[in-house]
Amino acid sequence: MTGNPYMPQLATIVETFDETPDIKTFRVVLLDPEAMAKFTFLPGQVAQLSAFGSGESTFVINSPPTRMDSLQFTVMRVGELTHRLHTLKAGDPVGLRGPLGNHFDVEGMKGRDIVFIGGGVGMAPLRTLLLYMLDNRADYGDITLIYGGRSPEHLCYKAELAEWTARGDMRVELTVDNPDKDWKGRVGVVPTVLTELGTSAKNAVAVTCGPPIMIRFTIQALEKLGFTDEQIVTTLERRMKCGVGLCGRCNIGDKFVCVDGPVFTQAQLRGLPQEF
Amino acid sequence: MVARFLADDALTRQAETWARDYRLLAPVREGQAVVYRTWAPDMRPFLGRPPTASAKQALLPQTENLLTYTYRKEPTDLTRTEVFLAEPLPPEPTVVLGARPCDARAGKLLDRVFLERGVKDELYARRRAATLFVTVACESMENTCFCHWTGGGPTSEEGSDVMLFPVSGGYVARAITEAGEKLLAALPEAPAATMEELAGILAHLPEPGPAPDLRQAPERFLKLFDDMDFWTDESARCLSCGVCTYLCPTCSCFNITDEDWGLKGKRVRTWDTCMSALYTLEGSGHNPRSARAQRLRNRVGHKFCYHPREFPGETGGQPEVSCTGCGRCIKSCPVSVDIRRIVRDILEKGEGK
Repeated sequence: MTGNPYMPQLATIVETFDETPDIKTFRVVLLDPEAMAKFTFLPGQVAQLSAFGSGESTFVINSPPTRMDSLQFTVMRVGELTHRLHTLKAGDPVGLRGPLGNHFDVEGMKGRDIVFIGGGVGMAPLRTLLLYMLDNRADYGDITLIYGGRSPEHLCYKAELAEWTARGDMRVELTVDNPDKDWKGRVGVVPTVLTELGTSAKNAVAVTCGPPIMIRFTIQALEKLGFTDEQIVTTLERRMKCGVGLCGRCNIGDKFVCVDGPVFTQAQLRGLPQEF
Repeated sequence: MVARFLADDALTRQAETWARDYRLLAPVREGQAVVYRTWAPDMRPFLGRPPTASAKQALLPQTENLLTYTYRKEPTDLTRTEVFLAEPLPPEPTVVLGARPCDARAGKLLDRVFLERGVKDELYARRRAATLFVTVACESMENTCFCHWTGGGPTSEEGSDVMLFPVSGGYVARAITEAGEKLLAALPEAPAATMEELAGILAHLPEPGPAPDLRQAPERFLKLFDDMDFWTDESARCLSCGVCTYLCPTCSCFNITDEDWGLKGKRVRTWDTCMSALYTLEGSGHNPRSARAQRLRNRVGHKFCYHPREFPGETGGQPEVSCTGCGRCIKSCPVSVDIRRIVRDILEKGEGK
């Protein structure tokens, strides 16, 4: 039968990395090389990862479509499925359904300055967009990344953070709540750093993802800097099952985060019933 | 198509005949309830009152296999595994006996979700195409019935393949579709006297009473969305038991879980309920609908606001709502929450907002 929307494609884990004590990154490739060659997506789209016997859950594809040697996912260990995923290693099979959902407006952002504001594992959806932009560097204006975590060890993609800092064609500001003795970055919460930098809203787009409390204060800080609702982009997290708009649970009014999201502008969110 | 006669004492025999060619779901009495069961020898179908549960299980089973998986360890390296996936078996052709017009009409609303919203659910589509409804027209309306609010009625044919009209000594059986005509092929034509009796019954069906104009419901619901006093008041009695959603012919939200038996297992879809706090509980602990008031608001909102906004259209001056007015959520609610009252309150209190 074709058309079973719940049937995943089989994939193999090719590499895993520990990002933080409870966050792990997986690189996977589809088992069928032809399907892998045909797999296309845009930054911000998600996929369902399956560990058969434990279930499946939604994760953003955090590698960019410009680097298709594998598909990368970053998983925080919080529940039954993510505990199981954390036990998997290179060579193990998983299921993958995707790409699902909408994506960042990479066309509309061309020619504009981009401010990434991330917290913790919220760096994952920013990573795919940031790498996409770095791979198409001439299409975008100034790029700034403000990224924070509880402590230095709670920051994801540490090697890449160092690379990005060294590149010279983007600005990287790292901040932690609890520094250790070797920490050379900033100390404090992300919205404060944003305010201190005084980032200009002129011809800029802010893309933010992180814990709800960080997003709330980040949006307040952005508004003070003059960012309009259309200039603020975020991704929403909801419990999802089907990923294709049928099972019902990720609805906000008559919209479904799995189909109409996960990427929303602040202007779009203001137009929805306030239930998220 | 000619009207035929199904005598009371021929009903069981007819059901047996259908059960030879189809999976037959028939209503039977169990305790005080009337529930659909797959046909078994010695079963006696009971068509005397609307079944306690709706017929949606015919199209959306309470538990449905989505896929099966098998792990195989590599003989040369037991730390390595391969996994194989298999599609579920195709559905059996099914006849639902004794649905009511409100049940048969629900199929259209389930189609909206599973066939028309976006991704077509082929598992549902196959089941839908393989299911026939033999519907019993209602002689009277119970005090929980409100099908006439939603564009339906006690004799509505929408979604049915055969209509059975109760008359003295049995039923007048009328095919609505060609597939329905085949089901009735062996039955005798209804006698003239029986048809006369039926005409008399149809001419004197009870008046269902006035229905509120639901066209303003979506807008007024949204105006009241943030009024938590209103929703706390409306949901004060609710126990979050979810019986309203399980018995509802149009509630279609589902869960997906894996059932694991060692190296093999299956992924199943099961009915879920937005009345449960677990339904939206995220791994982080965040829950956008942690309060009962928010959950009741979602159920009512989905049926009378979100659905008509997603699928605009009117029948008989009423918007299409995700409700057929069967009244099961009212009848079986242990604390007498009445969705009609909530909708009337929305229309009334949302007006001045």
